[in-house]
Amino acid sequence: MEANSTFSESWHRVSGQHLALHPAVQVRRQMFRGERWYVLEHPFTNQFFRLRPVAYEFVARLHRDRTIDSVWRECLERFPAEAPGQEAVVRLLGQLYQANLLQYESATDTSALFQRHEKREQREFRARITNVMFFRIPLWDPDRFLVRSLGVIGWLFSPAGFLLWLAVIGLALKTVVDHWSAVRDQSQGILAPANLAWLYLAMVGLKTLHELGHGWLCRKYGGEVHTLGLMFMIFTPVPYVDVTSSWSFRSAWQRVLVGAGGMIVELFVAALATFIWARSGPGVVHSVAYNIMFIASVSTLVFNLNPLLRFDGYYILSDLCGLPNLGGRANQELRHLSEKHILGVRDSSSPARTGGEAAWLAGYGAVSGVYRVIVFAGVLFSVADRYMLLGVVMLAVCFVSWIVVPTGKFVTYLGSSPRLDRVRGRAIAVVATAVAALVLLLGVIPAPNHFQAPGIVEASQRSQVVCETAGKVLALSTLPGGLVRAGQPLLALTNRELSLELVSARAALAEVDARLHQALGEQAANYRPLEARRVALTNRLARLLSDQSAQIVTARHDGVWVVPASSELPGRWVARGTAVGWVINPGTHEFTATVSQADADRLFHSHWTRAGTPLPLDAAVSDLTARIRLRGEAGVVVPVRSIHIVPAERDTLPSAALGWQGGGELAPAKSDPHGLRSAESFFEVRADLPSDPGVRLVHGRSGRIRFDLPAEPYLQQWVRLFAQFLQRRYQL
Amino acid sequence: MSRSQAILTWREPEPLPRGLDAATHELTGRWRRRSAVGARLRHLAGQADDRALDFRELRDHDLRVRLLEFREQFRRGGSEGESVLLPALAALREAADRTLGLRPFVVQLQGVLALHRGYLAEMATGEGKTLTAALAAVLSGWTRRPLHILTVNDYLVERDARWLAPLYEFAAVSVGTVTGAMRPPDRRRGHAADITYTTGKELLADFLRDRLALAGTVNRHQRLIHSLRSPGESARREEQLVLRGLHSAIVDEADSILIDEAVTPLIISMPRPNEALCESARQAEKLAAELVAGTDYTVDARHREVRLTRDGEAHLAESCRDQVGLWRGAARREELIRQALTAREFFLRGKQYVVDGEKVVIVDEFTGRPMPQRSWRQGLHQAIEAKERVPLSDPAETIARMSFQKFFRCFHRLSGMTGTARESAGELWGLYQLPMVPILLNRPCIRALWPDQYFATESEKWSAIVDSIVQIHASGRPILAGTRSVHASEHLAGQLEKRGLEARVLNATRLADEAMIVAMAGEPSRITIATNMAGRGTDIRLGAGVAERGGLHVIATERHESGRVDRQLIGRAGRQGDPGSAQQFASAEDELVVRFLPAAMRSAFTRSPRQWGSILIRRAQAQAQRLAVRQRQSVLRADTWLDESLAFVPE
Repeated sequence: MEANSTFSESWHRVSGQHLALHPAVQVRRQMFRGERWYVLEHPFTNQFFRLRPVAYEFVARLHRDRTIDSVWRECLERFPAEAPGQEAVVRLLGQLYQANLLQYESATDTSALFQRHEKREQREFRARITNVMFFRIPLWDPDRFLVRSLGVIGWLFSPAGFLLWLAVIGLALKTVVDHWSAVRDQSQGILAPANLAWLYLAMVGLKTLHELGHGWLCRKYGGEVHTLGLMFMIFTPVPYVDVTSSWSFRSAWQRVLVGAGGMIVELFVAALATFIWARSGPGVVHSVAYNIMFIASVSTLVFNLNPLLRFDGYYILSDLCGLPNLGGRANQELRHLSEKHILGVRDSSSPARTGGEAAWLAGYGAVSGVYRVIVFAGVLFSVADRYMLLGVVMLAVCFVSWIVVPTGKFVTYLGSSPRLDRVRGRAIAVVATAVAALVLLLGVIPAPNHFQAPGIVEASQRSQVVCETAGKVLALSTLPGGLVRAGQPLLALTNRELSLELVSARAALAEVDARLHQALGEQAANYRPLEARRVALTNRLARLLSDQSAQIVTARHDGVWVVPASSELPGRWVARGTAVGWVINPGTHEFTATVSQADADRLFHSHWTRAGTPLPLDAAVSDLTARIRLRGEAGVVVPVRSIHIVPAERDTLPSAALGWQGGGELAPAKSDPHGLRSAESFFEVRADLPSDPGVRLVHGRSGRIRFDLPAEPYLQQWVRLFAQFLQRRYQL
Repeated sequence: MSRSQAILTWREPEPLPRGLDAATHELTGRWRRRSAVGARLRHLAGQADDRALDFRELRDHDLRVRLLEFREQFRRGGSEGESVLLPALAALREAADRTLGLRPFVVQLQGVLALHRGYLAEMATGEGKTLTAALAAVLSGWTRRPLHILTVNDYLVERDARWLAPLYEFAAVSVGTVTGAMRPPDRRRGHAADITYTTGKELLADFLRDRLALAGTVNRHQRLIHSLRSPGESARREEQLVLRGLHSAIVDEADSILIDEAVTPLIISMPRPNEALCESARQAEKLAAELVAGTDYTVDARHREVRLTRDGEAHLAESCRDQVGLWRGAARREELIRQALTAREFFLRGKQYVVDGEKVVIVDEFTGRPMPQRSWRQGLHQAIEAKERVPLSDPAETIARMSFQKFFRCFHRLSGMTGTARESAGELWGLYQLPMVPILLNRPCIRALWPDQYFATESEKWSAIVDSIVQIHASGRPILAGTRSVHASEHLAGQLEKRGLEARVLNATRLADEAMIVAMAGEPSRITIATNMAGRGTDIRLGAGVAERGGLHVIATERHESGRVDRQLIGRAGRQGDPGSAQQFASAEDELVVRFLPAAMRSAFTRSPRQWGSILIRRAQAQAQRLAVRQRQSVLRADTWLDESLAFVPE
């Protein structure tokens, strides 16, 4: 039976019937993308039906005094080419009946009526269950309230009202700009626990007004609004309103305005809240006003205006570009495209009537599909962050409804859909090939497996120059940055106290020597204690002398004399043990990398046994290779000959340059003001650098090391990443 | 006998389960088909067998009295009838012995119990299904609720009713028949009997006509209202009714009636003048004549479809530029042309129809019988008439339509018998809630199955078949060759004639002759050629001395789309423990292969038939079955949709 065949074997069922549209049905003409459509609306049941002009020509002729057959024949005579065939008429009448738009003469089988009702309830119940993330409970019929309140505030929804609205919004924007720093500062506390209750209350109030905004505009243009209720959006109750009656508005702009009504009201309220906030001191009023401002701006921009989610923006977009049921038809279009071009179904027909429409649908379908997955994944994980169990339940539901059910449906479709009858062989082959290719690509073929870690260049031979005695820096004997030999003086200290002490020690020693001579002659009993005192003084003198010699700080080995703050040094008092700089041997360098725990696993997985000892990265010995790129000279790849894994977790960074405070990428521990401790402990891996690396190796230069591990299929890599993600986030 | 007690009642079929319900339903079906059911029935049959002595010594008169008592108990209904089920069965068995000279075996009693309980009894050919059904029919007929025994053709209807009449008379139930040629008063009489023999098509046609007669007051409540409002009119309508109603049915050859024939719904139509349609058919024929196969349109043999190519569409648009009306719109125009091309490509004179004078008469492809009353769907018939350049008849307009799938669900109690139900058990349960129970053979089957033969070309196949027939014929054994079509039968007969053998071809226009020929096919040295469908339900009894020579040999010259039909043919050899043998032949040029295998597989078949034949034939049959199942499903789906969506129309 073809959909558009002229004759139908079921024609006898309807041909002699006297049918007409239900008297209450209202018909409106609408234009979509330059094409005429007719929308039938039953105001009692709020059911809609959209018709093409040819179908409308038929429906419009239905009358209780005429049989379907005579109407059909008239249509056929008047529009021989376009008139619907019998099959199409039977289908159309069936759909009109299902939508309760038909009036028929016979008292129907009442039981059938009840059956239909029961069936619809079942269908709605099932839809509600499967759409548990957006569970709806209708609560109240706001129609009368809207009519009455429109009498009071109706003037606001007029051109004059619009100007007022613009003025208020403009003023509010100015206020926000004026108080921008306060606005920004307070936003950090928006999610603070103490604020949550206010935030939620503000949201409920605001969203109720938002929904009433839709209702007011819908009512203003004549649509009835009969349901206001609670929707549990991801288990958070928010209000909703049913303005489907606006679908039959003739003007697309009116429909757009109804769609935007919520935001119009919300922004207005937000603007008023801005004034209150700006003129109130800290306190509950201030805080609530701020919350209202925040929700109205953020939620409006992120959620309501976004056409990719099924909120206001979606309906506005679909009215603006004349594509009703955009989402549903976009999916149909995607399905059509894949059926036609991938599976090879020849008579698959596109829901679009023009090329432009098809492009719109396909584009929207693809983008919104991807976006939805991302948003839901985000929601899922943030819920799981708070309530582990709920997150798991949601994940299970999503897994079943997004993966298991669609896969099952797809397999059934592939195996037994009559649409694929002619091309089932090809369709199955294409899908099987695609799946096999995917499995091969992701699960079997080894893929490059690498990770990077930040690190810095350090000289292998280096020493800190430490002042072994306290003193004032007299001068730098050698200019910083210069080459020094071992033993060469670097800087001189001066310490008057030390000189005085030296003088006094020498004097004391002379005194003791004198008294020793005296004791030899007269008081032999004093000899021994004096002897002991002399030893002590000699020691003291020796220590002071060594301190004196230490005032000339020398290089311990050959190298470059590096002083971080050389200009501040002369004249400065340094305590004993203060490091003033480095002597760095520029001949050999190594690269110290901080490998995160997640990546270290991969490194250890194959190389743990050799950890602790240098690991030559030679093709003969190891399947691991590593190379380094230094910051500023990323074009030059420095090969690594061997690495040395330090087999212990560390949390002190080799250089502050690796932490956030030094412009690096490791998060520092909050407790450390110097930014030298990382929030998360890491493993240190030292890599030897070749003598001729092609770049200037300077101690302290930062860069990134890239480890290339043995190739491994993507799937394996992703599973590990996911497991690590779960472990890190949920301690699973 | 007052007829007003039950005028046209039936069960309103419940919607088929969907989703999870369907899965549970499927599991229930498996439970209901479990093997313990058969064992339980066998045990009960054994108990009935034990009571044989209670009735053996009774005089005829006393047995009649006992049967009358049972009848009363059954008629009172409920548990009372059930409590005397086994003794009643034993008494009926004795009655069958005395009236027909046939004493039902224990396995037949088991079959009776299965039918009584609403099962589908799987009984091999020749195991006495007719008698089994008769005993079950008596049990049901005693209650006076309408019972229909459905067989495959009118001949069997009359033969069975006549043959079993003594038994029914003895058991005090009335029996009636309804066949195609009968007028309404006779039909009414047939349906008024306790037990009615008829065919599925006749019953459904009567049912539809009765519903038409009720004109809008089909529903029980509506009828009640109508009868209160206008009693005269209501009574007049009820006068016209033919049926008492639908309550129980015993379907013989259940798989062919419930499955094979259920592909197309039954349609009652009336010719109605439609000049526009006839004119467009003529015009379409003229335009189609300009189109060339291959360039302007392609032919899809498998789905029996014609598709216009882009060239064809362009050509057509060019030709129709000056036309008006229907021909202006591409969709309508192409539909008409496709129909004309379908008439040209798939409907061949001499195969699907013959031209008798100035009329196109449909020929039943399987039996070769002309069917003057039948016509193809609206438009197609006219397209074929236009092609043959005969005056166009008035298009038949459908006035009532119902699928068998829906119809058989209108019975309160459906049961059936068949020789080959196993592979359809799932479908029979899913659609009709008919659980299958296998009934053991009375005597083990000793039929020899000779290895299947596969050939690259049809001519090789036919010469091998002829050789085989010549060889077996020499041994004096009777041979039955089953063919797919009347054409094939004639072809084979011609070939045999060249070798000097005389074969009887089932090509008769009268069913009675057909059954006679089949019944005689067991005589020594006889060669019978019949289409697979011909002579169903008729036993082939072996002639004198045939059993000693090896019994009947059956040759299947071409495989049917359903393996079940193949097995039905093979089952004609070696019935009731007789000796017999069977062999199947197939070639790569058979219609089954051409329609259901892709070109690559077909060429593999042609290259090495021996190696690939068996696998590929099985595949082609599976493919064909899948298509058939899908067709049946779509018929059912369309039915369901119409019922739901057009509920405002009184059926």
